[in-house]
This record gives sequence, C-alpha cells and structure tokens, in this order.
Amino acid sequence: MEFTEIIAYAASAIKLRKLRAGLTILGIAIGITALVGLLAITQGFQISLKAQLQRGFATDTIVVTTQNLGFGYELKDFELLIDDAEIIERIDNVKQTIPMLQKNCYGNFSNYTIPISVVGVDFAKYESVYPESFKASAGSISSYENQSVAVIGKSVNDPWQNGTLLAEINRDFEILYTTRSDFEFVNETSPFKCIAILDEIGGATVGGPSDYSVYIPLERAKSFFNTTETSTIVVQVEQSDEESIAQTSKKIEDAFDSQILVVSSASIYKTISSVMDQVQVLMTGVIAISLLVAGVGIMNIMIISLMERTREIGIMKAIGMKDGTVLAIFLSESLIMGLVGTLSGIGFGYLLALGVNNLDLLGGMISSATEGTVMGGIPSTPILTTTNLLSALFFGIAVSILFGIYPAWRASRLEPVDALRYE
Amino acid sequence: MIIETSGLEKTYTLGKVSIHALRGVDLKVEKGDLISILGPSGCGKSTLLNMLGALDKPTEGKVIIDGTDVSTLNSGQLSELRRRIGFVFQFFNLIPRFSAKKNVEMPLIVAGVKKKERTKRSIELLESVGLSERMNHKAAELSGGERQRVAIARALSNNPRYLLMDEPTGNTDSKTTQEIMEVIKRLNQDDGVTTIVVTHDHNVAAQTKRTLEMLDGKIVKW
Repeated sequence: MEFTEIIAYAASAIKLRKLRAGLTILGIAIGITALVGLLAITQGFQISLKAQLQRGFATDTIVVTTQNLGFGYELKDFELLIDDAEIIERIDNVKQTIPMLQKNCYGNFSNYTIPISVVGVDFAKYESVYPESFKASAGSISSYENQSVAVIGKSVNDPWQNGTLLAEINRDFEILYTTRSDFEFVNETSPFKCIAILDEIGGATVGGPSDYSVYIPLERAKSFFNTTETSTIVVQVEQSDEESIAQTSKKIEDAFDSQILVVSSASIYKTISSVMDQVQVLMTGVIAISLLVAGVGIMNIMIISLMERTREIGIMKAIGMKDGTVLAIFLSESLIMGLVGTLSGIGFGYLLALGVNNLDLLGGMISSATEGTVMGGIPSTPILTTTNLLSALFFGIAVSILFGIYPAWRASRLEPVDALRYE
Repeated sequence: MIIETSGLEKTYTLGKVSIHALRGVDLKVEKGDLISILGPSGCGKSTLLNMLGALDKPTEGKVIIDGTDVSTLNSGQLSELRRRIGFVFQFFNLIPRFSAKKNVEMPLIVAGVKKKERTKRSIELLESVGLSERMNHKAAELSGGERQRVAIARALSNNPRYLLMDEPTGNTDSKTTQEIMEVIKRLNQDDGVTTIVVTHDHNVAAQTKRTLEMLDGKIVKW
C-alpha cells in the first residue's frame, strides 16, 4: 500500500470522529503550549538578562552592598560607611571605588510630586566607569563637589511614558526627604538644579546607572541626608577575568568579615540563572506529566477506535492488507493527531510567551522583587529557538508514537475471521 | 486442482461450550469449477468458506490452495494469497464511510496498484454490475441489493483466480438474484473464474455445475 494512501486512510478515520480527535489533539496541544511557552519565556529572559548584565553595567566592576537583592540572601544589621571605601582601595586589583548614598525621596516638580530614588555619587568617577550609560541626552554632566545639582534618569523625567516630561535643563525642582529627629518626623526640602537628563538605559543594573534614579553629588548628599552611611560601593578592578573578580570579591568579603554582600555581573547572572533553572526543572516536571496525560489520552482514543473498527480491520485483512500496513495506519492516526497538537501547541506556546511578556507578568514579578534595590526592572522578550522547536516537535511525536504503538500493534494482530465476527 | 481440503475440522469454544463446526471435510475443487454448497444454518458452510478463503485456520486437517498448505504460510504470505481470492461476505462488509467506487478500489489500493489503473478498473467493474450511476455514493447510502453488487465488484477487482461467495443472493429479490447469477455464470464461463457459492436457495444451486450438501459439519451429498 502506498504511503500517501496510508495517510489518506488514517485521515479518513480521524475525520469520522472529529470532536473526539479534536479533544485528543487539544490534550497534546496544552502540553506542548506549556513546554514551548515556558522555554521561550525562561530562555528569552536569560538571554536578555545576560545581555543586560553585559551592557547595563561594566563587567570590570564588583558591587559591595548591604542591600538585599531579593534573591534569598540574608543580611546582617551592618552599617557600611562611605569611608569604608578606603579599606577596599587597599586591596589588590582594585582600581577605584565609588561609594553611593541612596535614599528614597519624593521629587517635587512644578506640577507633580513623584517618588524618586536619590543617589549621591561622584559624577566624574561614575562617568569613567559607566561611560555608556551615565551619558546625558540633554544638558551635560560635569563634576560638581558640593552643589545642589542633579542628573535625572529617563524614567524620572517621563514617568508615565506618555511624553509628559517633568524636568527641564537648568530648572530647579525640590527633593523632599522625610527623616526622624528624636520623636518627630522632619521633612527636609531642598531645591536642586537639573543639569542633565540621561539617555535611556533600559533594564538591569547592579550599581550602574538606572532610568529610575536621580543623581546628586556625593558630598551634597552627605550634607542633605546628614549621614555617611552608604548602601552600595561600586568597585572597579584592574583585572576583570572571572578568577580575578572572584578572588577580589573574596578579599573584600573577608575584609568586612562577611557582613556585606559582594556581587559581580557574573555572580548575579549565576544566581538568577540558578533560580530560573529551578523554576524550569519544576515546570518541566509539570509539563512532563501533562504530556504523559495527553499520551494516555491518545492511547485511550486509539483503543476505542480499534474496538469500533475491529470489523473494518477484518475486512481490510480479508482483502489482503498486511499486518504492517494496519500497524502503519493506526500509528499514522496517532501521529497525525500528535503532529497537529504539537504544531498548534508551538503556535499557542509562542503566543502565550508573548502574552505573558506583553502583560509584563514575569517582568513585573521580577521587577517588584528587585525594585528599590540596586537592580532595576529586567525586560525580556520570549525567544523561540530552533532547538526548542525541535525538542517540542520531538516530544510531541515521541508521545504520540509511544502511546499509539500498543493499540496499533493490537490492531495489526487481529485475525480476519475473529475481527469479522466482532459486533 | 486448485483447492483441496483433507480431514478438515474446526472447533470453536464459546465460553465453556465447544462447537464442532466442521467434522472432517474432504473437498476437491477443479479449475473452472462452479460449485454451490447447500445446507441449513449452522451446518458449517460459512466456516468452510472462511477456511477456503484463508481467513480462518483449521483445528485439524489441511487446506491446500494452488499446491500450498495454507497453515505453513506466515501472515505476509497469507495477505498475498488473499489478494488472489475474491471473497463476497454474507453481510457485504463494505466500509460505510467510503464511496462505492472507493470500496471497489480498496483491494487495489492495498495491493499498491497505481491510481490511474485502479480508477479505470473500479469504474469498469461498477458498470458491469450496473452501478455506474451510484458509484460516488457512500456505501452506507446504498440499498441491500446495491451493496451486494458493490461487494461482488470489490471481490472481482483484483482479477481473482477464484471467487468465494457467502450467500450472495441472501438479501436480494428474485430479479436481482438472477442478475447476480448471470454475472457469476458469465465470469465462470468467459473468464474461467473458479467459483464456490454458499447458499440455501435451491434455485441458485440448480444453476451451478455441481452442488454439495452439508449437514452438521460434514459433506453429505456430492
């Protein structure tokens, strides 16, 4: 029997029970949708994360922080001081240190008051480490010692992303900081002049410039916030290979008796990746079960089909159809259902990933976990790689063949006279 | 001699009851024969016909077709053998979702005959049984007599060397019965197709060259 005839025969049998076949196909499609969607999201996330980490902040930096990065570190109640940067500077391989004094405040622009993250930092040093991202799109960043000037991140200027711009170059705005003096809350307010607005940076930064921050000179920050405590010190190193970074990180940790968190782009990437890997392992288990259930569905339907068509199989065998052909027809039926399910699952999976991404479900989850830390939000785009496509295709086909084989084998073994007698 | 059986026995077990359908049948069929087998229901006619068509295996004894003992054939060889036999079942056994034409074509499709050739052959056959008007109707939409004729056309599609028919006129009126008998006689005479017809219609039996009578699993009259 010709191959095309086998397929045509199998298709005619599927068409006979459209709803039933449709539901079986749906079962496969759901499993594959989950598989493709998850892979597209997690891989897209990992790839964009890596790109962000390489672009968003320099690879030759280590960040020393007392902040919790939202990934399960448990930190002690330890105060890191701006002068502690000197301890770090004495360590080998350290080129320079940039202490950052970060506080959450309100920015009072002429018409609007919005929450802002104010970072006190040495502009010149910061620019030398992050020349790509600490870059003005308007105005210019110059070195100021102790003046009330500010460099504004893009998202602070355009917080609703609708063109309503808050800041203007050389125009003053107020920074409002609430502190506590004995038993009273005190609102410190001071005007700052906007000297530059940053280019869009986009995405994750650990220590590096962020779209969501307002930068003021470090000395001015010390006097304004009346503190010398810092949350973050960015350390630029001479040798930036993985081993040197690890060694230097270790030395810094030891110098502070492990009371602080030392992170590098590589270590952040590793941490997030390992979290994503765990999520992926868990999800893979769930997906495997759903594919297994879909496979059982195929087997179930094929056995019912076998019973309904026993007489037909008897007829076909009586007119000379070979066992192998009967096997091929039944396998083709489960394979056709599996393929249709897999292909639609791949389509739906990609749409699912796009949907999750557009609704910002995952990004939202992660940026809410990292908000207010040295990291910004991490955007991601789902990625449909050839490997993922092929593996989805492989699993779809494998499941439909694996679970189709038993009913097909039973059909092929029917004796014509028994099959013909079957009612 | 193209079909020969010796000491053919068949025992079925239905639950705990054993049914001796055949109790020692010795039969010789010559090339070009036209034989009818008469007998009451349950005498083993259909069982015998299934054995001769290589659809069933005997419990005891042998079926020799074209000099080959059927019991020595593997499933692939059995399939090949069945393609050389035209079998008309008692209940037509057409595939209801296929058209009359597709049903007639089916043995040719199974045998791997090219589309052009098998289309031509199936149309010819349906014309010869007077169904050219109805060939694109699904088997399920045809009347009993029409289905019977489609079943005969299907049995002939592979140009079989012999034709086995189980009650081919069991569901037809006398006019259709006669039409079918004319087809059978013509095939036997003109094309030399060896034919065995199981029937309980004496009128049908009278038109064959030879009549066997069966009773309780044995041939009682030649």
